Amino acid sequence: MTNESVVRVENVSVRYNKQLVVDQVSLEVARGSVYALLGRNGAGKSSLMRCLLGLQKPTSGRVLVFGEDVWKHRARLLARAAYVPETSDAPGQLRVRDIVAFHESMYPTWDQAAVRARLARVGVSDTAMVSALSKGQRALFTLALALGSKPELLVLDDPTLGLDVVARNDFFSDFIGELADRGTTVILTTHDLAGVEGIADRVGILQGARLALDEEVEKLKVDRGQSLEQIFTELTRSAGRL
Amino acid sequence: MTPPKNDSWTNRITVQPADPRPIWSQIEEGLRRMLASGSLGPGDTVPSVRELATDLRINPATVSKAYQRLVGAGLLEVRRGDGTYVSAAPPAVKKSEQTRVIRQAAMNFASVAITHGAEIGTAREALDDAWKELSSNQEGVRS
Repeated sequence: MTNESVVRVENVSVRYNKQLVVDQVSLEVARGSVYALLGRNGAGKSSLMRCLLGLQKPTSGRVLVFGEDVWKHRARLLARAAYVPETSDAPGQLRVRDIVAFHESMYPTWDQAAVRARLARVGVSDTAMVSALSKGQRALFTLALALGSKPELLVLDDPTLGLDVVARNDFFSDFIGELADRGTTVILTTHDLAGVEGIADRVGILQGARLALDEEVEKLKVDRGQSLEQIFTELTRSAGRL
Repeated sequence: MTPPKNDSWTNRITVQPADPRPIWSQIEEGLRRMLASGSLGPGDTVPSVRELATDLRINPATVSKAYQRLVGAGLLEVRRGDGTYVSAAPPAVKKSEQTRVIRQAAMNFASVAITHGAEIGTAREALDDAWKELSSNQEGVRS
């Protein structure tokens, strides 16, 4: 199991001054699996994701990506991973093709043909200004860029936030296609519980800085006979009352 | 741009995430039902793993697991590079096995109905309605 883990979070705590925002969290993401990290706003998701991307050093504990400490070997390890931020950071005044060209120059594993095909399929024009893309197109564009380097690990931060139903369906279609084609390992945060219910292999629920639940989705269903949404609501609500 | 949907499949195989049965087993059952009812026959193609996963919005590994089980049971066969088909001679379900499965499902159903304080008449009506709903989705279910 350990050898198969693409991500291994070991006893990670994050503290800002006196406030503990991540409290001794451990979790593993197995190769080829999809891990959904859930939690209400302020539960510590973002801090944990930053640690996972080597953007922040945990106050204690460590995060291994492909078996090595991501804080120490960030550049090397993350060359094999791709990150889709909550809101795209692509400059609006550039054209789609310019940003694609920039990415192409950065990644030796870049698959230009696949990126072009994907953008054509989702209707994002090469010559469009990024600022002119709709929110849904922007999300698909960001995903296309992330997949262009053929990552072994895909990190998604609430990718469907603010998308309407059609855009969300398009996003999931594309994302599922990628899973089918390449079996990419994925860790994502989301508020769209219904959206990931059939996709995630495993879920973790952060509640008050701690990992309150970390379980296979299939086992959760059998044990509890509830939807992810019900489990999430119960867990985060009851903990809020304490 | 949304890829064209093959409505017939998403209508015929439904997946309920809230259903306590694992999703792969819901797919397996859906396909078994179509085979049993004759709405899928020998030599018919089934959607690719990628297509069905995208349509149902589920993890491809889950579809793959359901297909593997059906291939293992001799109901489906994979032709390399060509797709997945219903076997030319799918093995018939043994009567004893059929009886066993139905009895078990009936026990579950009765237990849910009793727990919720339903009369047997109400439960029978619900079964009739479910039967009708499934048969309208797929021609060939014997009613």
